Amino acid sequence: MPSWSSFQPFIPIGLALGGVYALSGVGMVVLYRATGVLNLAYGAIGAMGAMIAWSMITNAGVPSFWAYLVAVLFGGFSTLFYGTIFGPALAARDPLVKSVATLGFALVLLGLMTLLWSNSDITRSITFSTDDSTAFTVSSVSVSWTQVIAFAFGLAVAVGATVFLRVTKLGTAMRALADDREITATLGVPVRRVEAAAWFGSGILAGITGLLLADLDTLDPATLTFLVIFTVAAALIARLRSIGVTFVAAVVIGLVDNLVTPINSITNYRDMTPFVLAIIALLFFARGRQYSFARGGIR
Amino acid sequence: MRKNVGWRVRISVAMLVVAVAVTVATTTTVFGKTNSKHATAAAAALKCGLGNGKAATGTPIVLGAIATDQPGTSFTDIPNMANAYFQCVNANGGIYGHPIEYKILTDTTVPSQVTADASELISTDHVVGIVGNTDIIDCAVNGATYAKDGYFLIDAGIAAQCYASPWSATVNMGPRYSGDGAAQTAIMHGAKTIVIDQSNVPGYQSNALGIQAIAKAHGVKVVSLAANAASLNGETEAERIVQAAGSHGAADLIFTPPVAQQILQGAQKLGLESKVIWTCATPCNTDSLAASLGPAWNHKLFVNAEMNDVHDDPGVDDNLFLKVLHQYGSAVSGGIGSFSQFGFTVGQLTVQALLSIKSKVYTVKTVNAAIENLSGFKTDMLCKPWYYGKAAVHLPNNTDYTVWPDNGTMQIVPGSGCLPISTDDPEVATVRAYEKKHGV
Repeated sequence: MPSWSSFQPFIPIGLALGGVYALSGVGMVVLYRATGVLNLAYGAIGAMGAMIAWSMITNAGVPSFWAYLVAVLFGGFSTLFYGTIFGPALAARDPLVKSVATLGFALVLLGLMTLLWSNSDITRSITFSTDDSTAFTVSSVSVSWTQVIAFAFGLAVAVGATVFLRVTKLGTAMRALADDREITATLGVPVRRVEAAAWFGSGILAGITGLLLADLDTLDPATLTFLVIFTVAAALIARLRSIGVTFVAAVVIGLVDNLVTPINSITNYRDMTPFVLAIIALLFFARGRQYSFARGGIR
Repeated sequence: MRKNVGWRVRISVAMLVVAVAVTVATTTTVFGKTNSKHATAAAAALKCGLGNGKAATGTPIVLGAIATDQPGTSFTDIPNMANAYFQCVNANGGIYGHPIEYKILTDTTVPSQVTADASELISTDHVVGIVGNTDIIDCAVNGATYAKDGYFLIDAGIAAQCYASPWSATVNMGPRYSGDGAAQTAIMHGAKTIVIDQSNVPGYQSNALGIQAIAKAHGVKVVSLAANAASLNGETEAERIVQAAGSHGAADLIFTPPVAQQILQGAQKLGLESKVIWTCATPCNTDSLAASLGPAWNHKLFVNAEMNDVHDDPGVDDNLFLKVLHQYGSAVSGGIGSFSQFGFTVGQLTVQALLSIKSKVYTVKTVNAAIENLSGFKTDMLCKPWYYGKAAVHLPNNTDYTVWPDNGTMQIVPGSGCLPISTDDPEVATVRAYEKKHGV
């Protein structure tokens, strides 16, 4: 078994990645609660935004800030686009159908990215910090500003979303939609507008997630697209309901995935982390109950 | 209701148009730049093939290639650069008036796909030669077909079968022997432990065999790691390597450029550039990687290049390579580097073989006989003349250069010269024995 010092460097890396998984997990849960859609295109939307930002910076010489802003807005508007076009048409369908439809959107975006950006172009990267911007050192372990921002942002969004859903009128409307769409509409809540806000807000978070992961992980369309698996696992552990549990689950997934790295006997199986944790959690929650993929999760 | 739908559609279409416009505007800038370069350089006449400046208009000579192209692992730059050279040849008289038509197929390390690719080239496209293949599983999957149908490949090999076969001669060393060279450099710089880290693609284990033999001969410990390139996190992997290497350790990276870049940038973010001796197999030899890493990596990464540096005192072939890349290489996304140099050399070798066919009849039989007869091919790119011949095992490129990043480009490490890959690797010993016996 490796010594404690062997694990230490992986803690900030795991926390940072966990923070980003939480960021996207929160967006996914909020959208699900408002619309009943588990958006599997989340990763692809973030990836496309990050690729656009990289192209703007590298090829068009656009200042980074504006490129990042475009990436975030691309996330918001493309998600809103999908939600506006397909959301109403699929509103009455089973949640599984809605989710599979978003997978189609993900594949369309992935195909578009493959068409526009070659697999072999190696100059791609988005870097917010370098070794010169180390925030601080704990027990000889360096922590970068990007790692700090990633974790803090994930935490802030989780807290902010929780407060938003509890306190604001729009948040209350989203929660009401989650409980019963038809009754909420009967009560005069503008369902389409509330859903549009959920799609847009969720997309904005997807755009931010894409940029952060492009730095913390890699700027590769396919890799970023499929990192959604970590997010889905966190959201499923939270049964697509609790934002707090989503945050904790995402951080645990990020930490475990990294902390097993020094353990040679299992390090090659690290990719299984989100699946294993999600399965364990779902089996635990499903004791004596019937699990359903339908809205509401476990009943 | 109808009014609402119209509003929704109009807004959505507008958003889609904006998104597509932004995407196209930002990505087409790349193509715009390339075309601009293309137009500027087009004025300069190039001496490719016959070098007569006349476009070839005869019946085409159809050649083919198969390359792996998947997320994290793309080798398309090699056939794309060979194609760039063929285009230059076609603009300069072709092969006695016949233009070369080059079919490039790709696969994603799926055996059925790579089998279908070979079948398409041979049975549908009726290619008379297969050159420039750079594929993880092609040699293993299609080797028997190539041997049966009489194809002698000039390729940039990856799998062990590409080197241990009479029907394949490579312009490169591939991951095993290039990894050997990187390990030799690490040992020369005092490494006590060498950590091999590579992508866990099919057959990757054999890449470590040579390094283990060389390390054993020098009393150096070896730790072999493997990672899933598609889901690897650069910082995590860099920390993993540094921990495995310990003090006086070295890393021997056998990854494609994007993945190596990810790990090296991860190391940089964690301040690990000087914790170990970083070495890398050939794929890291690309200026794009040096540029993306930046000055923090100047002289801190030793790359076994397999090919000569084209920046310092370039020779005739180096100059031609640079011009062809500039004028015809818009599809070569990695720019200057070993991959594009492999492709260029494949192109030169193929054209030399085709031009040597005295009958000027280009069939599978004549073309592949000409390829098999290639010998003593000299180029600025390689340390030693290249040969094909009737060898059972082919590794004509077995002595090469070591480069490192130097302000955005890869430069030869001063004083390093041509490094013979160690005969402590038994496969290299076999090749050297063949060369000695046959005087090549």
